[in-house]
Amino acid sequence: MTKKKAHANWTMSLLAVVRYELLWNIRKKKIIGVLILAFALATLTLALPIVLNNINNLPTEPNPDYVITTGTGLGGFGFFLFALVSVMNSISGEFESGSIIPLLTKPVSRTTVYLGKITAAFLTVLGAYILLTIYIAAGGFVIYGPQNNLHLVIITLLGSILSTAVWMSIVLAAGSVSKSSMLAALLGIGVWFGLNIASGILSAFSDQAWVMTYAPGSGASGTLGSPRPINQTIAMNGGVSTGTDSVASNLITYILNSTAEVTFFRIELRGGGLGFIRVPSYTESLSLVVARSLAVAIVYILVFNFIAWYALKRTQVAE
Amino acid sequence: MSMAIETVNLTKRYGHLTAVDKLNLKVNANTIHGFLGPNGAGKTTTIKVLVGLLRPDEGVARVFGEEVSGDKPEVRLRIGYMPELPKFPKHLKGTELLDIYGRMYGLSEQQRRDELPKLFEQVGLKGRENDLIGKYSKGMQQRLGIAQALLGEPELVILDEPSLGLDPVGMVEVRELIKNVVNEGMTVFLSSHLLFEVQQVCSHVTIINKGVALVSDTIQNVENKIKGPITMQIEVTKLTEPIVENLKKLAFVTDVKTEGNLLEVLFETSEDIRPQVSETITNAGGTIVSMNVNKHSLEDVFVQLVGKAGETLGSEKK
Repeated sequence: MTKKKAHANWTMSLLAVVRYELLWNIRKKKIIGVLILAFALATLTLALPIVLNNINNLPTEPNPDYVITTGTGLGGFGFFLFALVSVMNSISGEFESGSIIPLLTKPVSRTTVYLGKITAAFLTVLGAYILLTIYIAAGGFVIYGPQNNLHLVIITLLGSILSTAVWMSIVLAAGSVSKSSMLAALLGIGVWFGLNIASGILSAFSDQAWVMTYAPGSGASGTLGSPRPINQTIAMNGGVSTGTDSVASNLITYILNSTAEVTFFRIELRGGGLGFIRVPSYTESLSLVVARSLAVAIVYILVFNFIAWYALKRTQVAE
Repeated sequence: MSMAIETVNLTKRYGHLTAVDKLNLKVNANTIHGFLGPNGAGKTTTIKVLVGLLRPDEGVARVFGEEVSGDKPEVRLRIGYMPELPKFPKHLKGTELLDIYGRMYGLSEQQRRDELPKLFEQVGLKGRENDLIGKYSKGMQQRLGIAQALLGEPELVILDEPSLGLDPVGMVEVRELIKNVVNEGMTVFLSSHLLFEVQQVCSHVTIINKGVALVSDTIQNVENKIKGPITMQIEVTKLTEPIVENLKKLAFVTDVKTEGNLLEVLFETSEDIRPQVSETITNAGGTIVSMNVNKHSLEDVFVQLVGKAGETLGSEKK
């Protein structure tokens, strides 16, 4: 006679899916490749100033803020790449290969399957970022001496994860709806490049840069501090991006300088030999910039995850 | 007898194509029920509704009395399903896959430790369980598909074309495995386009074509449903007139043809008439050398019911 068994409890089912997905992620050539690339770039970030200083016979000055300002060593494109390789085929790839059929016919709800998959993707990215942060911190300590505010590294990690999660949600939704890894990747790349180009143009040439603060990615570019003179030359020192990619750095800046303001400029062509000049457009408090980018990131994560989950929940597997 | 599967007017359409058309299917518990039909008959679509991969457009599908429409993990807990030509994640090892699936079925670590080696041995994958599935041949993936369907000893095992992709030895092994499974108290619902497979393995059969169930009964009853006489070939040492005359007098005999020492007796009954025929020939002074009954086969039934559509049906005998 068949033996009666208890229904797997929800946690056990979720952990089974997480295990299923994690074993895939750690064996994905794409993920291993991006991790190697990230470490190579981190090494370059650490070593390049020393090399340049040596070439120019300059001493390498101690920099106690190096680690906290460098973070994971990843920029917006790094977040996007990690998001892309960790989720671009976690749902669509299963549909393409047909392995979704045995998975969805197991006694696990589709919601649990979805949660397991995003948990595994989250853990994969978290693991990679922890390794990168430790690497940067150790390298920074060796090269630039003792570091300040190391307790804020956790903010760097959480912020970076949140920034990555925005892109993960977008790519996951595209994959879950289209059932095509290629389409998910292309759409993600298209959105990333499109927004970056639009952000640069809008920030530079119009008063409408604020629109970009509601888009994922780099957002609008501003300058930290009070409005500067109207004929100021373009300088990116103290630059702040308002987008979801900058949550970590903006949070750190806010914690270290809670009263800071961000001024947004546009570029104007002036006659009389003045050429291109930066014109202050508007100013906001950094606290508002941080709060808004956090809220925007969370909204994107919720909305796109809902789309991805709903598509998986409702989909019929005919092939 | 309790019902393992029941569908009432089950209908599933793909655009304008009606894949399953008001299907009424009943599968008794603890039986091996064959689901026979040509390619495109609606077998896989019906099964996909039963395991929750598709939603019916009309009608109801129940497994052990519970409706299956929608995401019902509690119903799937009672089902082991092997898809047609199953595909599994290539990055996992065979043992990792079954371990993960076992967790999903709520098997404890001890249960998984006990059950997995047995399953690998049963399906002939012993020694290959630690290989990545990506390195498995098609036949090995098929065997893994059967193993995962039997995981956790589900009450209902649904096998969609389980012999597809297997070598002849593998096909025989799978049939034996299926017969053993039902001995352990499971219900098996076996979809196949191979008449011989269904005839060998199943106690019951439903024949489906163009989404419509044409007949559903025990194999014996289905075979008996065919109209027309059954023939019996008898070879005797010496054919005499009294033998032929006496045979013609038997109530169930419709005709007797002769050729040399061979007799062809045509009759219409589902009962075993060999003792009566033998006695009649002996009483008439004849001696029987051989006797063969050509009963109606499932294939005959299928051809009669499906007609030309049956041409796509395999009758491979292994």
